[in-house]
Amino acid sequence: MTFKDILKITANLVVLYLAGGLLLAAVYAKTSPIIFKKNEEEKKEALQRMMPEADVIEKLGDWYPHEKHAEYFVAKKCGEVKIDKVKDEEAGIVREKKECIDPKVIGYIVQTFGKGYSSYINILFSVDDKFTVQKIDILHHAETPGLGDEIELDYFKNRFKGKDIEHLKVVKTETTEYIQAITGATISTRAVAEDGVRNGLEFLQQALKGEVKDESSASREG
Amino acid sequence: MSHQHQEKVSYWALLKNGVIKENTIFRLVISLCPAIAVTNSVRNGFLLGSAVLFVQAMVNSTVALLRNFIHPRIRIPIFMLIISGWVTVVDMLMAAYARAAYKEIGLYIQIIVAFASILARAEVFASKNKVGASFFDGLGSGLGFLLALVIISFFRELLGKGTLVGLTIVPVKPMLIMILPAGGFLVTGLLMGFFNWIDMRFYGGKGAGGAGGH
Repeated sequence: MTFKDILKITANLVVLYLAGGLLLAAVYAKTSPIIFKKNEEEKKEALQRMMPEADVIEKLGDWYPHEKHAEYFVAKKCGEVKIDKVKDEEAGIVREKKECIDPKVIGYIVQTFGKGYSSYINILFSVDDKFTVQKIDILHHAETPGLGDEIELDYFKNRFKGKDIEHLKVVKTETTEYIQAITGATISTRAVAEDGVRNGLEFLQQALKGEVKDESSASREG
Repeated sequence: MSHQHQEKVSYWALLKNGVIKENTIFRLVISLCPAIAVTNSVRNGFLLGSAVLFVQAMVNSTVALLRNFIHPRIRIPIFMLIISGWVTVVDMLMAAYARAAYKEIGLYIQIIVAFASILARAEVFASKNKVGASFFDGLGSGLGFLLALVIISFFRELLGKGTLVGLTIVPVKPMLIMILPAGGFLVTGLLMGFFNWIDMRFYGGKGAGGAGGH
């Protein structure tokens, strides 16, 4: 290899990596705000779908099932929604400002993880104020296609409606009282029903009990 | 394989070559890992195939454009830079503008970087040919890959789940093994044999033949 070769190789690498880096930086600068915004929007929509009747969904805190980061939320319904028309002088338009009067807690939404057959199943579920399950949604999983992946299907998710903590139990026979296991995918069913939703619900109840103590400080802030 | 035939070859012939004679999966037998990993539904197969088609055409064009500038000694690292650059661009663009599709195949997009088929076309063809020809070679090769994935996933989804593109065709699961990894090997192997048989029976076995790789 001659000195000329070395120079050419160096020039090659510097120019191409610089050009590649600049191109990626340009695309990143253009796309990352959009990606961030869409992620936020999708999260908000997903939460709203879990509790369509809620007017306000607020984050209560974080928790770590299977050492993974998850969040839990409270859903509130307003006694009355007051809409004020506020004139935005700068933009020159009239904006609607919603004010929630007399909010009432109607339920909670919890994100949780269940250890499945071949993956950690990321689950979102909502309960009403009496802690019976309203809806569940599977956010992400990598269970066996054709067997475990039936946890995504509506017929399975609907089995959770109206179940309280005592009835979140997997049964292999035909049942509507408990959660009926998917044929050939008992592990995935258990992961969703017991490891995921039931544990999440247990956590929620404990967390809320813990919060009763803190409420004095919270109300002081308010 | 000699590809130094310049101008003479028509773009149409290049397309056909990529789809039939040098089909990535069935004839060259490279990039089989994705072919088996994602083909448990037609939708997944189609989406990944499309992403590969795009990346292959862009990588081939870029490599051909820079072919006289790149020092031969460092061509492989440069090809890898070009491939990973385009894959990252596709990844970010899809995450921003094609959310629904990205959710399905976002996981697989990033592993396109390691697909042997893309590096192979860059090295075998694009580094020795003009931009136009290289673009069509990439298009042909990508199209061949896409078609192969769709054919494999057609049989796997139909036999394994009884559905096609998510629509129920038969209400039972005739052969569940087909959507499990083992079924991927079975279907791919049988199809490969079938295409070899056609080649032997009707064309006298003058195709490219198996090269091997992963």
